[in-house]
Amino acid sequence: MATSGTASSFRTSVSASSRLTHLRSSPFKVPNFTPLPSSRSHSFSVSCTIAKDPTFLMAEAEKTKAAGSDPTLWKRPDSFGRFGKFGGKYVPETLMHALSELETAFYSLATDDDFQRELAGILKDYVGRESPLYFAERLTEHYRRENGEGPLIYLKREDLNHTGAHKINNAVAQALLAKRLGKKRIIAETGAGQHGVATATVCARFGLQCIIYMGAQDMERQALNVFRMRLLGAEVRGVHSGTATLKDATSEAIRDWVTNVETTHYILGSVAGPHPYPMMVRDFHAVIGKETRRQAMEKWGGKPDVLVACVGGGSNAMGLFHEFVDDTEVRMIGVEAAGFGLDSGKHAATLTKGDVGVLHGAMSYLLQDDDGQIIEPHSISAGLDYPGVGPEHSFLKDMGRAEYYSVTDEEALEAFKRVSRLEGIIPALETSHALAHLEKLCPTLPDGARVVLNFSGRGDKDVQTAIKYLELGLHWSTGPEHSFLKEMGRVEYYSVTDEEALEAFKRVSRLEGIIPALETSHALAHLEKLCPTLPDGARVVLNFSGRGDKDVQTAIKYLEV
Amino acid sequence: MSYEGSHFLGFRHHRVSNVLSRTSGPFLGYVPARTDENPFLRGDSNGRFGKFGGKFVPETLMSCLRDLEDEFNFVLSDHEFQVEFTAALRDYVGRETPLYFAERLTQHYKNIARTTGDGPEIYLKREDLCHGGSHKINNALAQAMIARRLGCSRVVAATGSGQHGVATAAACAKLSLECTVFMGTTDIEKQSSNVLSMKLLGAQVKSVQGTFQDASSEAIRNWVGKLETTYYLPGTVVGPHPSPVMVREFQSVIGKETRRQAKQLWGGKPDVLVACVGSGSNALGLFHEFVRDEDVRLVGVEAAGLGLDSGKHSATLAVGDVGVYHGSMSYLLQDDQGQILRPHSIGVGLEYPGVGPEISFLKESGRAEFCTATDQEAIQACMLLSRLEGIIPALETSHALAILEKLVPTLRDGAKVVVNCSGRGDKDINTLIQRGMPSSLC
Repeated sequence: MATSGTASSFRTSVSASSRLTHLRSSPFKVPNFTPLPSSRSHSFSVSCTIAKDPTFLMAEAEKTKAAGSDPTLWKRPDSFGRFGKFGGKYVPETLMHALSELETAFYSLATDDDFQRELAGILKDYVGRESPLYFAERLTEHYRRENGEGPLIYLKREDLNHTGAHKINNAVAQALLAKRLGKKRIIAETGAGQHGVATATVCARFGLQCIIYMGAQDMERQALNVFRMRLLGAEVRGVHSGTATLKDATSEAIRDWVTNVETTHYILGSVAGPHPYPMMVRDFHAVIGKETRRQAMEKWGGKPDVLVACVGGGSNAMGLFHEFVDDTEVRMIGVEAAGFGLDSGKHAATLTKGDVGVLHGAMSYLLQDDDGQIIEPHSISAGLDYPGVGPEHSFLKDMGRAEYYSVTDEEALEAFKRVSRLEGIIPALETSHALAHLEKLCPTLPDGARVVLNFSGRGDKDVQTAIKYLELGLHWSTGPEHSFLKEMGRVEYYSVTDEEALEAFKRVSRLEGIIPALETSHALAHLEKLCPTLPDGARVVLNFSGRGDKDVQTAIKYLEV
Repeated sequence: MSYEGSHFLGFRHHRVSNVLSRTSGPFLGYVPARTDENPFLRGDSNGRFGKFGGKFVPETLMSCLRDLEDEFNFVLSDHEFQVEFTAALRDYVGRETPLYFAERLTQHYKNIARTTGDGPEIYLKREDLCHGGSHKINNALAQAMIARRLGCSRVVAATGSGQHGVATAAACAKLSLECTVFMGTTDIEKQSSNVLSMKLLGAQVKSVQGTFQDASSEAIRNWVGKLETTYYLPGTVVGPHPSPVMVREFQSVIGKETRRQAKQLWGGKPDVLVACVGSGSNALGLFHEFVRDEDVRLVGVEAAGLGLDSGKHSATLAVGDVGVYHGSMSYLLQDDQGQILRPHSIGVGLEYPGVGPEISFLKESGRAEFCTATDQEAIQACMLLSRLEGIIPALETSHALAILEKLVPTLRDGAKVVVNCSGRGDKDINTLIQRGMPSSLC
C-alpha cells in the first residue's frame, strides 16, 4: 500500500491486492448537514471499502446495473458526491468543513436570482458568451466521401472566450462564489499555466488576492505564462519538491488551503477532486451544452447526433455533455491523449489504460502501476497531461453512456495543422486531440449526421511547440538567430563531411603552418567549392575559430601523416 | 533620407500647400477644396473627404480600382452577401463583441480624480475578443469574400503588428484562397508569434527590409505585377479610393453595435468615444456611426513614441503635413524636403507615417480631437488594465487607455466613455518582458 508523504495530500493509492486500504480519516463522519433539495436526499449507505476487492466491485456493478440504462434515473452525483462508485470526498478532516460549506453555498446560489443574473452578465460582457456554434464548411468537405455523403461538422467556439479557452467559465463563477463566501484570498495550482492565467484574470477582475502554485520545472518551461500571471497581479509561487511539476504544485496548494481555509478559496480547474468540485465545475461549464442545445435547435431544428470533446481532467467535455446525458440518442465521445502511443508507457489515456483508485480526493480511473504508484503521464499538450480523470467520466464510461478513445501526439499535431489550414482557426493542442479523432469517426457516420465538437481553446499558446515538430522551415536545433537568418535568406548555409574536413585540416596545416581545429576545418573545407565561383580579387574573410592541438590525436587516427 | 519605397509607378508624394493649412514651404500645386459639400459627407464619388483622399495612382490601376468600387457598391446592397457576411461575423468571428463596463477601472479614476460624485463611467468595446485577437478580422473577412467573388485566387496583404496578416491568413484559409503577407524585418522580430501563426494558417510570409510602410509598398508592387489573379487586401483606411471607404464600412459594425448596446445598457448614446490611431481603422470603425451625432465627442490617440520632440514617434496629425502617400492625400510625417520620416512606437500597429484621409478630414473639420500618448504611458496603461480588469490589452490599444488619466477629470459625473479595446496583448508579452515589466510585482 502506498500513500504520498504529505499529510495534506489528497492522494491515496489503491493496491491491486485484496488488502483494504486504510484511510487516514473516514469521509463518512457526516457533520451537521442542512437538508438538501429533495431531488438529492438519499440514505447515507455508502460502503467504506474502496479496495479492488473483486466481491466489492461485483456488488457495485450490480448496483449500477440496477440503476438501469435510463440516464434520467442516475444520481449525478448522489448526496455523497458519488457517481455510481466514483467520486466521493477522500480528504483530511480539516477540509471537510470547507467542502460542505462550499456545497451548501453552491446549492443556495443555484436558486439565487441575483447571483445568477450577475454571473450571466459577466459571462456575456466579460467572457464574451454566448460562443458561436460554427459550421466548419471546409472540414465537412474534407470528410465528405466519394459518393458525396458525410457528416456535418460544427465547432462550439470556446476558443473565442476571453483568455482563449473554456476554463474562464468556471474560474469566473468560482471567483464570484468565493466573494459571496466572504473569501478574499484565492489559490490555485497550474501546470502549463493556462488555469493559472484564467484564475489570475478573474482575481484581477474581482479584486481578489491571488496565489498560484506552479512546479519550478513548469515555471521555466512556461516563462511567458508566469509573466502573464504576474502582469495580472497574481503571485506565482514555485514548488521545488518532488518532480517540481503539476502534482507537486497541487499538493502544495492543498497544504496552503488546509492552513488558510477560513480566508481562502481553492479554485480547482477541472471536474476532478473531492465533492463538490466535480459537480460544481461541471455545472459552471454546463452553459456550453445549454447554448449548444439552443443553437442546434435554431440552426437545424434538432439535436446534435454526436458530441466530441478532448478529455484531460474532463471539464470541457462535461460542460458539453452534461446537458445531453439524458438524451440517449445523442452519442458522446471523449478523446484522451495517447502521447507516444498506448503501448509506449508514455501517454495520458486514463480511461483506456487506467485502473480505479483514489487521487486528489476522488475515486476515479487513474494511471497507476502495480504498486499503486501514480505513473507520470505524457502528452504533448499540457492540459491533457493528467494521470487521473474526473469521476463522472469514469461513471459515464462504465455505464456505457459515453465512449472514450485516444489519439497520439503525432495525430494531434496533424490535426492542429489541418484545421489551421482548412478553417483558419488555430486549435489548442488539447482540442487537436478531439479534432484528430474525426479522422476515425467520420467514415463511420451516416450521411448528414451532425457532429458538434467542443473547440475548447485556441492554439496561439502552442504555436512554438508545434513549429518545433512540424518543420515549417524553421530549425530550432541550431541557434534561433541562424534559423532566422537562413529563413530571411540573409545567410547561406552549406555543409561539409568529416572526410572533407580532415582533408582541409591536413591541407591548411601543410600550406600555412597553422593547425586548425576540426570545427574550423569545416569552414576551410568549404573553400574548395566556394572559391571557384568567386570573382577575381574577391576578399574572403574566414573565421579561424580555433586551433587544432586538441584534435591532433583524433586526426592521426584517420590520416596518414 | 531618400526613401525608395514610395517612388514607384507614380505613387509619388507631393508636399501640397493649401492656403487653409500651412503657409510656409514651396508651393507645388493647389488642390481645390470642394465647397459645395456637406461637411459630414464623407467619400464623394472620387473618394474625397474634403480635400483629402482621392486616387493618386498610375493609369494601370484605375480600371482595377473602378471594378473594385463597383463590386463594393454592389455587395453593400446585395442581400446574399450581407447574409453570408453577417453569419460569418457571428459564427466565425464571434460578434457581437460585448460593451463591457470596466467597473474597477472606473473606480480607479474616480478615486484619483475626485472625492465626491460618481465620476464618469468607462466602457470597453471588446474587439480583443474577435477571432484572431483584434478588430482586423472584420475587414479581412469581408474583403476576402469580395476577392472570391471577383474570381481572384490569390490575396496579398501587408502587415505591421501582424494582426492584419493573421486575420487575412485566417480568412483566406476559411475561403480557400492563396495568401501572401508582406512584413517588415523589424516587425517580424518584434511580433514573431504572429509570424508563426500566419504560417500555420497556410500563408506565405515574405520579409521586406524595414517596417510596415515598406511592406505596404512591396505588397502593392506584388499586386500590380499579377493583377488578373491577385487581390490586394488593405488592413486599414489608407490607400486610393475605394480602400478607405471600404475598410471603414466593414469596420463600422463596431460603432453600429455600440449604438445598440449603449441604448440597451443606459438608454442613451456614449458621451465620448476614444480609440488609438495608427492609420485609423479601429477608430473609424467606432466613430463612423456617431459622426453625425454632434453631442458625441470623438477622441483619437496617436503614438508619441519617445516624445514629440525626440523625432521618434508616429504622431502624424500632431506634427505632420499634408501630402500624397500610397495613393491618397492625407497628413503624413515628412521632412522639409517632403521625404517620408520613419515613425516609431512601441505599439507596432501604430507605426505608420501617414493616416487615413477620412481621419485627416475629421481633424481639419474639427469634428474629432486628436492627442498623443508616449511609449511609457502606453505601457503603464497596459499594466493598469491587466491588474484592474484582468484584460491584457494590445500595446496599440493601450495608447487609447493611456489618455483616460487626463480625460476623465475633465468629464462630468455619469459621463459615458467608450474606449475601443481594439486588440488583445498576448502578442506583446515579449516586448513587455524586455522592458522589464512588471519586475516590481511579486
